[in-house]
Amino acid sequence: MAGRTRDRIGFMSCQCECVSYGLGTLMVDTENDAASEESDEVQYDPDTSRYDIFECADCDNVVLALGRDEPPMSCHNQPMERIRSIDMSVKTPDVKQVLLEAFGLPKAGLDICLCVIGEGPLSANEVAETLGYDRSTVTRYLNKLVELGLLRRSELNREGGGVVNVYHSVDLERMRRETLIGFYVWAGEAAALIEEANVTKQEYLDENPDQDLPEVFWDSFPDD
Amino acid sequence: MCVTRRTVLQELVESTDAERRETTTVEALASALAADERTLEEHVDALVTCELAHVEADGRIRATITGEELLALDTDEVIIVDPAGRDGRSNA
Repeated sequence: MAGRTRDRIGFMSCQCECVSYGLGTLMVDTENDAASEESDEVQYDPDTSRYDIFECADCDNVVLALGRDEPPMSCHNQPMERIRSIDMSVKTPDVKQVLLEAFGLPKAGLDICLCVIGEGPLSANEVAETLGYDRSTVTRYLNKLVELGLLRRSELNREGGGVVNVYHSVDLERMRRETLIGFYVWAGEAAALIEEANVTKQEYLDENPDQDLPEVFWDSFPDD
Repeated sequence: MCVTRRTVLQELVESTDAERRETTTVEALASALAADERTLEEHVDALVTCELAHVEADGRIRATITGEELLALDTDEVIIVDPAGRDGRSNA
C-alpha cells in the first residue's frame, strides 16, 4: 500500500522533566514494500518503545516525548494522542554515527572515550599506544572532547613544579541532559532541512502535476 | 581479588602522605587490598607514569601531591592524566 504521511511537528513546552522537540513538516512517500525492508530497520512500537510520539487531533502538530510515563502532551489545551502506528520505518541508529553526526565527535575522540572507560587513570601515552595514535593526536582530541563538553579538564599541581592535566568525565546527569538537548538541537536542524526539502517538493508537484516525482527528488535540483 | 588502578591509588593516598613524605611498600599495599604483589606492582608502575605515585630511592612508595589532588576531585571516573610542563602545555 502506498501512502503519504504529512506530519507537522512543533516545539512543545512541558511542565515535567520530559523533553520534546519539533520536526517541522515531514512528508513521506511510502511506496512501501515490507518484504524488502532491511533487517537493520526499526519499527516504532508504542507499547515497547522507550519514547512516545504524540499528535494533536486538531492540527498537524507532532511531538516526541522521552523520559516520561504519563501522557499527555497538550496542544490547544487539549491532550495530544499517542501515535499508535506509522507507515514508515527507519534505520536503527548506531551510537557511533549519532555521536559523529550530531556532535561532530571525531572518530579518534570516540576511540579515546571507549578506550578508557572504566580503566582510568591512564596516561596519555598509554592511550596513544593502545590506540596506535600519536601522543599529540591524543592530546588534541582530548581538548576537542573538552570543547564539546564531553570531558572536563582539571589542572593539578605537579611535584617539582608545573601542572598535570587531568581529563575526566563530566557530571553524568549534566552530561545526559546536555547530550540529549544537543541531539535535539541537531534533530531540529535536520527537521528544518527536511521541511525545506518537502516545501520544495510540494512546489515541484504543484508546478508539475502530471509528472511523477523523481525517485531521488533532491538530485533533480541543482544547488542554488 | 581483582583490584583496579583507582583502588590502588585510593589505598596509596590513604596510607601515605605526600607532604610529609610518608611511604609504604608494595607488599603492604598488596596485603591491604588482598591482591597479589605482581598486580600491585603493575598498577603502581602505571601510577608513577601518570605522576600520581612516587618511588623513593629505597623502593618505598607514596602518593604524590598530584595523586592526592586527583582523588580530591571526587569525580566518578578520572580517565586520562596528561602531564604538562611548567608553562601548562602538554608534553606531546
